[in-house]
Amino acid sequence: MNHETILLEYIKQELLRGRKSDLKVEDDLLSNGIIDSLGILQLVAFIEERFHIQVPDEDVVFENFQSVKVLSDYLAKF
Amino acid sequence: MLFLLPQAIDHAARNCPEREAVRFAGQGLSYVELTQRANGLAHILREHGARRGDRVGIFMNKSLDTAVALYGIMKAGCAYVPLDPFAPVARIAYVMRDCGIRHLVTTDLKLEQTNLLAEDTGELHYLIGVTEQEGFTCLSWETVYAAKIDAAPEVALTEQDLAYILYTSGSTGTPKGIMHTHRSGLSFALWAAETYGLVPHDRVSNHAPLHFDLSTFDFFATAVAGATTVIIPEAITKFPASLAKLMQDEQISVWYSVPFALIQLLERASLEKGDLSALRWVLFAGEVFPTKHLRHLLAALPQARFSNLYGPTETNVCTYYHVTALPEDSDEPIPIGKPCANLEALIVDAEDNVVAPGTPGELLMRGGVVMLGYWGRPDLNERGFFRRKMFGGHYEHLFYRTGDLVEQMPDGNLKYLGRKDRQIKTRGYRVELDEVEVALLSHEGVEEAAVFPVPDGQGSNLIEAAVTAKEGITLTEELLINHVAVRLPSYAVPAKVRVLATFPRTSTGKINRRELQAQAIAEAEARLSG
Repeated sequence: MNHETILLEYIKQELLRGRKSDLKVEDDLLSNGIIDSLGILQLVAFIEERFHIQVPDEDVVFENFQSVKVLSDYLAKF
Repeated sequence: MLFLLPQAIDHAARNCPEREAVRFAGQGLSYVELTQRANGLAHILREHGARRGDRVGIFMNKSLDTAVALYGIMKAGCAYVPLDPFAPVARIAYVMRDCGIRHLVTTDLKLEQTNLLAEDTGELHYLIGVTEQEGFTCLSWETVYAAKIDAAPEVALTEQDLAYILYTSGSTGTPKGIMHTHRSGLSFALWAAETYGLVPHDRVSNHAPLHFDLSTFDFFATAVAGATTVIIPEAITKFPASLAKLMQDEQISVWYSVPFALIQLLERASLEKGDLSALRWVLFAGEVFPTKHLRHLLAALPQARFSNLYGPTETNVCTYYHVTALPEDSDEPIPIGKPCANLEALIVDAEDNVVAPGTPGELLMRGGVVMLGYWGRPDLNERGFFRRKMFGGHYEHLFYRTGDLVEQMPDGNLKYLGRKDRQIKTRGYRVELDEVEVALLSHEGVEEAAVFPVPDGQGSNLIEAAVTAKEGITLTEELLINHVAVRLPSYAVPAKVRVLATFPRTSTGKINRRELQAQAIAEAEARLSG
């Protein structure tokens, strides 16, 4: 599975908990409250464990987390 | 004479017309612009039937328009009701029905949810900030801003008129509306502006959502001082590194948030590396600040002063404590301090008798900052206040019962001990555990439910729950979480729901919540240490 699919599934299952099962990769994750600050922490922990990478604190910024697509593009750099 | 909240911006518009009143995402409105726009909105609301004391909803993500909405609604003589833009539709619709909202100030971006809301709220007729929507009278923001109007509509108001209603978790399963007047809001704003020495060149953060009472400091204390409120977009509040950059770029001089936001900044934003030299006050409220984190924060921001503000939404803020050096060898929590000016505190026992200093008791408060009461809830208003007979029974003083247990220390400061009831804080948000239980019990397969807090290892709580199923029904954690997620705000949704065959019982046959909580804490500790 690629990053996009894995992230989309994780966000739907663990963070949205059924509130929006039709989430798409380009959907805005931040301006409609899909993920809160606790959700960001969980998501970063998941990424680090699942993809075996270390996301530096200075990269955990809204520009990198706007959508699943944007986040996948960021992760492709590793 | 300043006796209504929007008069604060009118004064500033006369005294320093060009000074920025609010900033958002690099753009700003001067006090003159803010006043003219708010006047425009007030006229439009009046022209469309809004009258003194009417409740007008605000339903939008933060923007410069949000500030216009706050003041425009109050200038029309109405009370603003901030609706959590991210809460489930069912909850928002409940709030709108409860206080009878006919006018909603919103944006085109929220139309999808507004349409869902409308199905559940028959009284809603006017959408302000919306270009076009069938079934509603719509007025776009362009229309609101087309006329630059120097004077607000003439509405005879007193300081006792309603200014805003903030909804908070209610133990019966539905949120309750806390009514504040111009007097209660302004009493707090005037005190805060003076106590923290706010001056026109201050740049004050607005981190909290509008439906959270910390926001009244950010807007109203700032306006009283003719200073600038820097509204932080919701998206940025989630990212400590982005937040630290904004604090630096915007030269924030006064910061106000819950401790959780500051702890995140401390742990994930390398505060000491940035240039936060403009920051002179760091204020926090909403929850106890864990001392070990506070010690690090003091060290990371040596140029700033720190103050702990305490008070339930019902009282704005009622005590405060300026943090001086913390002891190196003790993690004893800092006190909540002493009552603000113009407030009288009582500490009473279970029979409402005043206790001796040093004895624990419930904190009661009387003074200008106290709310008018709960909207439409005479039962809560009866229970929520204590009538203290004065002068041989010729007169009564009305004290608000905070439900918080405190004791007075030898130096006069109050120490917070806990709650009398089942209200908890999770990352600064106030949640009635009973409300979460009611939400779980509303699932037809749930026989019994118990909800309890579990420490999160970050100085705050997570909410966990346990349920038993009705005979013949199979329940799963996922099913139950999905069920409550459409009823409760996300911070009140349990992080974990255990489905048990039976509950542990106390000797009197009640659910043993303490036992369930102890098991959950043991599991959480095992997870953290593992």
